[in-house]
Amino acid sequence: MKTADFLIELEDILQREEPCKENDNLCDYDEWDSLSKMALMAFFEKNFGLKVKLKDLNDVKTVSDLINFAGENIK
Amino acid sequence: MISFNKEDKIIVTGASSGIGEGVAMQLNELGATVIAIARNKERLKAMKEKCKYPENTYIEIKDLTEDIDNLPVYVKFLKEKYGKFKGLAYCAGVVQVKPLQLLELNDVYKLFDINYFAPVFMMKGFADRRNNIGKGASAVCIASLASQFSSRSMSMYSGSKAALISSMKSIAKECSLSGLRINCVSPSDIKTPMVLNDAAEFMQDKEKKYPFGYGDVSDVANMVIYLLSDKSKWITGQNYIIDCGVI
Repeated sequence: MKTADFLIELEDILQREEPCKENDNLCDYDEWDSLSKMALMAFFEKNFGLKVKLKDLNDVKTVSDLINFAGENIK
Repeated sequence: MISFNKEDKIIVTGASSGIGEGVAMQLNELGATVIAIARNKERLKAMKEKCKYPENTYIEIKDLTEDIDNLPVYVKFLKEKYGKFKGLAYCAGVVQVKPLQLLELNDVYKLFDINYFAPVFMMKGFADRRNNIGKGASAVCIASLASQFSSRSMSMYSGSKAALISSMKSIAKECSLSGLRINCVSPSDIKTPMVLNDAAEFMQDKEKKYPFGYGDVSDVANMVIYLLSDKSKWITGQNYIIDCGVI
């Protein structure tokens, strides 16, 4: 998946009205809550076969970190 | 006193007859902007003409069972057309009276499509933070007393409504994080075309069990309006039975 496409998916998962950018700090998003994290876990598993733990997402700081988390799945 | 204003945009499904029609017309009278959804254009238009302020009622022709998976996209389309929603009253539904021996899976699927899956996916669209006003937004689903006290030959209808209530309790907890409230209303026998036409034989002689006779649409609509309004701001995840004290 291309980074630009992932950013659109992320915007949708978080139900954000503003676009997501790579340098954004996730803690600055009102929408970055436990339900959004669960939705993101489901997205990673469905699209990349990645089993992500909630603890892992709690440690993620920026959108860019999230992209790195997905490794080769997002280019 | 409960009142709404024009900026309060509320979706009402099943708005062409019965409880949906009653809810839509009462919301309109109280000042809300109503987006009335149903399959039947002529009946919707007739409902709009009967409204006190027809200019504040917008009609949308839609079969909610056509593409259930895409109902959230449909709600997004409505939001782009009308603006963010304060409320959703899911009043569409069908009754099915069928003995176990006559049950066919396809009929059950059709019943669950309109009574269960469609409200869940309409709720998915409504609950999207981008489609509602956040705190102050409220949704109400019409369930049925049959969810808990079922007559014979109502197994699937009862099941569809019980499933709806259970799911809405869970969804209400999820949505409380963003300030949304979600409740169900479970009426018993109400004089609606759906009940009078489809279950007429079951209605015979039942009226005497109700101390005040059969309920009217307005008896249910009043509760729905209350739950949609800010007067019920501390109420969510509930299922209100309206049965004239029968159970």
